Amino acid sequence: MTGHDEFKARSLDTAVQETLKKAKEKGIETVWDRYEKMLPQCGFGDTGLCCRHCLQGPCRINPFGDEPKTGICGATADVMVARGIDRAIAAGTAAHSGHAKHLAHTMLKMTEGKAKDYTIKDADKLKAVAKRLGISIEGKSDMQLAKEVAETALGDFAEKHEGVYWATTVLNEGRKKVLSSLNAIPKGIDHEVSEIMHRTLYGVDADAVNLLLGGLRCGVADLAGCYMGTDLADILFGTPKPVITKANMGVLKADMVNIAAHGHNPVLSEMIVKMAEEMKDEAISAGAKGINIVGICCTGNELMERHGIPACTHSVSQEMALLTGALDAIVVDYQCIMPSLVTVAECMGSKVITTMDICKITGAEHVEFTEQEAGQKAKEVIKIAIETFKRRKSKAVDIPNVQSTVIAGFSVEAIVSALMNVNPNDPLKPLLDNIKNGNIRGVCLFAGCNNVKVPQDKNFLTIAKKLLKNNVLVLATGCGAGALMRHGFMDPANVEGLCGEGLKAVLTAIGQANNLGGPLPPVIHLGSCVDNSRAVALVVHISNYLGVDIDKLPVVASAAEAVSEKAVSIGVYAVAMGLPTHVGVMLPVLGSPTVTSILTDKIKGLTGGYFIVDLDPETSADKLLSAINERRKALGL
Amino acid sequence: MKNPKEIFVNVKKCTGCKTCEIACAVEHSKAKNLYSAISELPTVKPRLSVEWHLSGKSIPVLCRQCDDAPCMHACITGAIRRDSRGVVVTDTDKCIGCWTCVMVCPFGVIGRHLQTHKAYRCDRCPDRDTPACVQACPTGALVFAQSDEYSRDKRLAFVSEIAEATKEKA
Amino acid sequence: MQNTRYLIIGGSAAGIACAQTIKDNIPKADVTILSDEPDKPYFRPLIPYILTGKKTVSDISMLGSGPYTHRDLKVLTGCMASKVDTVNKIVFANTQEYPYDKLLIASGSRANIPKELEGQLCKGVFALRKLNDAREMIEILPSTKHVVMLGGGLVNLKTAFALVEIGIKVTLVVQSLEILSQIMEPQDAYLLKDAIVKSGINIITGKKAVGVIKKNNSALAVALDDQQEIPCEIVCIGKGVKPNVEFLDGSGIKVDGGVVVDRFTACNIPDIYSAGDVAVTYNPITGQKVLTGLWTNAVEMGKCAGLNMIGCPTAYAGTFGVMNATQIGGIPFVSMGTVHTKDGDFEVYTHKGRDSYRKVVFSKDGTRLIGIILISDISKAGIYRYLIREGRDITSIKDLIINHKINYASVMK
Repeated sequence: MTGHDEFKARSLDTAVQETLKKAKEKGIETVWDRYEKMLPQCGFGDTGLCCRHCLQGPCRINPFGDEPKTGICGATADVMVARGIDRAIAAGTAAHSGHAKHLAHTMLKMTEGKAKDYTIKDADKLKAVAKRLGISIEGKSDMQLAKEVAETALGDFAEKHEGVYWATTVLNEGRKKVLSSLNAIPKGIDHEVSEIMHRTLYGVDADAVNLLLGGLRCGVADLAGCYMGTDLADILFGTPKPVITKANMGVLKADMVNIAAHGHNPVLSEMIVKMAEEMKDEAISAGAKGINIVGICCTGNELMERHGIPACTHSVSQEMALLTGALDAIVVDYQCIMPSLVTVAECMGSKVITTMDICKITGAEHVEFTEQEAGQKAKEVIKIAIETFKRRKSKAVDIPNVQSTVIAGFSVEAIVSALMNVNPNDPLKPLLDNIKNGNIRGVCLFAGCNNVKVPQDKNFLTIAKKLLKNNVLVLATGCGAGALMRHGFMDPANVEGLCGEGLKAVLTAIGQANNLGGPLPPVIHLGSCVDNSRAVALVVHISNYLGVDIDKLPVVASAAEAVSEKAVSIGVYAVAMGLPTHVGVMLPVLGSPTVTSILTDKIKGLTGGYFIVDLDPETSADKLLSAINERRKALGL
Repeated sequence: MKNPKEIFVNVKKCTGCKTCEIACAVEHSKAKNLYSAISELPTVKPRLSVEWHLSGKSIPVLCRQCDDAPCMHACITGAIRRDSRGVVVTDTDKCIGCWTCVMVCPFGVIGRHLQTHKAYRCDRCPDRDTPACVQACPTGALVFAQSDEYSRDKRLAFVSEIAEATKEKA
Repeated sequence: MQNTRYLIIGGSAAGIACAQTIKDNIPKADVTILSDEPDKPYFRPLIPYILTGKKTVSDISMLGSGPYTHRDLKVLTGCMASKVDTVNKIVFANTQEYPYDKLLIASGSRANIPKELEGQLCKGVFALRKLNDAREMIEILPSTKHVVMLGGGLVNLKTAFALVEIGIKVTLVVQSLEILSQIMEPQDAYLLKDAIVKSGINIITGKKAVGVIKKNNSALAVALDDQQEIPCEIVCIGKGVKPNVEFLDGSGIKVDGGVVVDRFTACNIPDIYSAGDVAVTYNPITGQKVLTGLWTNAVEMGKCAGLNMIGCPTAYAGTFGVMNATQIGGIPFVSMGTVHTKDGDFEVYTHKGRDSYRKVVFSKDGTRLIGIILISDISKAGIYRYLIREGRDITSIKDLIINHKINYASVMK
């Protein structure tokens, strides 16, 4: 491959292509270069047949059927693969719920007066959540209520008889019944993670089906963690409402102090946004026109959905933001942060600032962030960026002139209120009528990351295009949302070109009812990856309205370019919810035909959901469509 | 073919990861892709194996393409010949699975495919410039080179090692 | 100087391997091969495949196949040597005279017909040795319901399976107590016997055929030594082979059972060499003289003779009397070296599995591997052959051998 094709094979994002060219010229190594050096990747790991769970190992089983057929302890390929995937689910669950726990602690500290920079932004949501949790709201102040909600949240981590409230109170009756019968209602979020670690230990669970059922329960615990994360963030920082903004590297401003907030949790990034306003003058006196906060990955989504902060780039292309030379600092909390950022930052004269005790990177500057001194710490971070700007301001930068218009911030509350403008008394009716009459054929949620094994965004774009043309209502979260927004899929102007007639009519009608002067965007932005809970909330809402369980609804999901173990645990709870769930990269399970067939087929008989693993986006789209059609048919639609 | 390239093994670099075995099997599958290869029938087989020396070293062992290939001469069906690349190959159409080649190969590198009832062995990847195992080896323990160039490199490496050592002393 | 005339008597394994070796080294060499068969050289072990139709005559042709890349070797077919004049260096065949400078005697062997059956040959009685035998048998197969095979050796077993495969009933009459007695002891053969019985072949052991009952010169039944008569349309004799040495009478070439050669495959008379079934070679384990009917031995010895004939002195490494690999009834097995241990002083280990069997024979002092039988799991058998042949001290790897965990890395020094 030569010239531009080489970059096209790496990313479909023209801003990324342009920046990759620069990386090549400057000889700066990127994730794509490292991937090539890693090839061919280990086939044992790739098929899930490598086990390092004990010190007698490592063990690997021959995927071609010859010896060794079991690990040293006697674990079969089925057991090895099931244990491996269970641990991935546990890791994903630990991460999402760690994010939620962080928010709960912040909220509790706020109510105790120990986190003065935080306030309750959405008291209505606080009350709604408290009510749902069965907390009496009568005569309680918001702070008192917030304290009780935070305590209940923290209480959900330990094992308890009642089960995890953020699971039991968020599910519809049908799901609760199905999951109870499978013993898949989590007893405590941390408990489930810990139990997975226990059962996958040397010499514990050696039954693939039992292991996978344990994984399923942990997956439901992951849903609880995500749901809690969304709830608490909405209470503390506001429930998102549609907001117009921009996405892609063109949002960087050469003459401003550019700070990218990267990672996941709004606890830190909200403070950065807040303090940036206060420190504007300092930036101006340093010679800048102001402070420009941009987002990367899910922190970007969190800031975008609540403040309209533009997104710079996402996931696999995070190094590109630094390569523009225009980024003065990249401040990170945790999850999906490539350690290589430090090297790129060094090359570009920029700074990576880590803030969390559990996430330090050698070579990065560390500013330990605490809720007690949140504003202060955010200012420290911004100061570092201003200092970098002073050194950087006279140098040339290469900001690709690429950006798309984005309408983001569709919380379930926002969606319902938009629908209320169509039908104030029965807001879901217009949506469901259109599903019934076929204007909307079904719903697909895109989630997950960008994987270096896929030309960036290709799977998302290919599948979304086909689904939109076929009148599927497309929702998106996380870096899946990132991919679609950078390519104009969240710009209402593109409804005309992207959507089928039925979908176009519905999006236009809702847009008009809301006086938007045009349709809703082709793809509905639900937020960050913990905000996959919003999708669950929406389908639970619909399911309750119709009295039909989720596994009957024409709703599907796709993590088309998944990377993180968090995508695995999300996938598992999507399947637990009863959704046909596409994964566009290979899960490390093929080494066990048994596990593979359970995940892609047999589990359908248990939860109604199942995995569709397909690396070809064209056929993936067809499979998602036919899953939707199958369910429509079963509903008599 | 004169002085064809051969696969050499640098035992010091082999970590026993068996990546070569997987790459070999995938290369000899119909799909040439791991995910499909593992469920292909007849079962795909690697043609080399990483074996263990009593000293604890791991050593990839594969067909050495013997000058006097005993397998070729012992074959009772004429299925084994040396092709234009100098590689000893088994014609599976002719092979009847009598395993005489298995009985005479002093390296033990001829496999028996129990489903197809045919013998199989390293064919030096006819569709590739560099055999899949060599390309896959993450540590460079497998080297594809002409024997004279390989031994020259070995000598040079040895000399520079000595030079390095004397420099340190001085 | 006139081009050296190489003359080879015999157009099978040893003869062709010798001719190929001469041509490989001297492409323009004048090589003539006299073959008593009407067919061009072919892979004799594949004859059972001709019976089933799985292979055609052209499929099994030697020239142009495998290492025999010289398609244009001069093979005179239907040319049976009748006399060798070692003084004038002339071979007589079919009233023609073939002068030579260097001569290879690779006249091979023929089926051994037991005394009791001599003179009883008629239509339907075969020793399946040559392509023409197969052709004749194929002709009467359509009217054949039952074949009685005399002898429980490999050739007969392979043929028996071929016949069963095409739907013909087979009874195997074995004089010894068990099948394959030439290459293993009775207790070694249980898995193979089970497979044979499972395939539907009827086995009668400890009985001897004493005559063929005929009608109109066609076989009707076989008479056994217990008065039993087994009706059949075909009788197949597989009682080993006999070297073709008769034409050497009076030539001065030393014959003792077969043609006697030295380590360099040379006969007692200069410029004459011998290889293959007809030649007496030696067993590298025991040092004893041995006559074998092994294809692999014939090829190796023929190659060696070829090198000696062109003036590259090359010692033949000898052959084990037993060195067989094949598959019977879906079970692969290898037997090589000293495997008959009943009457000797050896260190023997056996492993009797449900699906596999192994017998490992070490020298009396336990330091050398001298024989092995592998049934079912024959992987890496060639390493054992190498260890047996080299007579190496195997003390350090003995456990690996006993447990069949050997690999090349473990025998590397």
